[in-house]
Amino acid sequence: MPFDPVSYAIPVFVALILGELLWTRFSGQHQAYEWRDTGTSLAIGLGSTVAGALTGGLTAALLVWVHGFALFSIGWVWWAWPLCFVLDDLAYYVFHRSAHRVRWFWASHVNHHSSQHYNLSTALRQSWTGFIALSFIFRLPLALIGFEPGMILVCVGFNLIYQFWIHTEAVKRLPRWFEAVMNTPSHHRVHHAVNARYLDRNYAGTFIIWDRMFGTFVPEDDEDRIRYGIVSQLGTFNLFRAVFHEWIGIGRDVWRAPWRHKLSYMWREPGWSHDGSRETSEMIRARWDKSRTQE
Amino acid sequence: MNGQLLQFVGSLAAVTALVVVTWLLGFRQPATLSSEAEARDLFRLAPGGFEPIRLGLDAQGRSAIAADEAGRKAVLVPHGNQFVFRQLSPASRIDAVDGRITIAGLPNLALELGEEAKRWATTDIGASNS
Repeated sequence: MPFDPVSYAIPVFVALILGELLWTRFSGQHQAYEWRDTGTSLAIGLGSTVAGALTGGLTAALLVWVHGFALFSIGWVWWAWPLCFVLDDLAYYVFHRSAHRVRWFWASHVNHHSSQHYNLSTALRQSWTGFIALSFIFRLPLALIGFEPGMILVCVGFNLIYQFWIHTEAVKRLPRWFEAVMNTPSHHRVHHAVNARYLDRNYAGTFIIWDRMFGTFVPEDDEDRIRYGIVSQLGTFNLFRAVFHEWIGIGRDVWRAPWRHKLSYMWREPGWSHDGSRETSEMIRARWDKSRTQE
Repeated sequence: MNGQLLQFVGSLAAVTALVVVTWLLGFRQPATLSSEAEARDLFRLAPGGFEPIRLGLDAQGRSAIAADEAGRKAVLVPHGNQFVFRQLSPASRIDAVDGRITIAGLPNLALELGEEAKRWATTDIGASNS
């Protein structure tokens, strides 16, 4: 197994969560954390490390296999590291956008969004079922280009570490140049919001430039209080329901749907239904736009 | 393998410690709605949309009930220190007793609405008590 930077970052994560807990408590933000929500978030994070240990080897093996067909022989040259990191972040953007637009991928990613809180513990709500959801396919093109599999995995790790600290309400805005290029707490709060205007926006991992380039960027509006979570709030702290509820929902919908619609309940966007009885993000946004024009 | 097991045990200990610290720091307060406006905002976020035309806010802000133009009723159920939207079925029984309403199927929920309670009731049990 190659060097895993995330393992070394875990003690720092714990220390920062402790710091944020103290900060929010003594600055009077009593709603910032909830002890059972924190327990669920941290337990999901712990479980994801087990899932990662079980499937990480398979992902590495797949990267090595694809690297056998590489178009270029890049090797371990110094300039490949920043290039790999940037391209991996682009791959993350594509993965993340797909994770919100294809229900099969969403089923694995939804537990990251199911908390109604937005704090550093929320960051640790990582997927248990990423391998089953085939999330690894988004990193395979990097190996096909010719980046070393070990280099890709290290970049993936550093990308994940970067994304930890942006899960906070303690940081409002950063200098303009930083907000213009990098993903920040402000940009990512938008991503975790259920407010209609913010749904399915700001997919960035490390660099917000991808959202700006591909038209999915929305800035945070201080006038509109952000509500966090998912459109249909879970209403439970049950660890296993948080992790598996969307998979169960897919199974139920596929079972009940007419034959010609069964696959659509897996690959269409979350909220899609064959009879129009549910709402997708676009439908929610359209309804919100309509209500604003009527006011 | 031993290293991974040690890491897991260490992480589990850290998780437990953080949850205990979160509890000790007092992050276990009930959910509270500060105003009808806040309750309205939360109802509007409901899946499929829900625009309240009538709203009852619990005296302590612990919950709210609302009805929309189509006659649907819904409540905001406390979940930790947040709320979740739950639409009531048309057959849901709402009892009003001493200015409080209770809803069948939501045993932990009781809204103090005072004189307004009777208006939300689907039964006349409370009529004789209020």
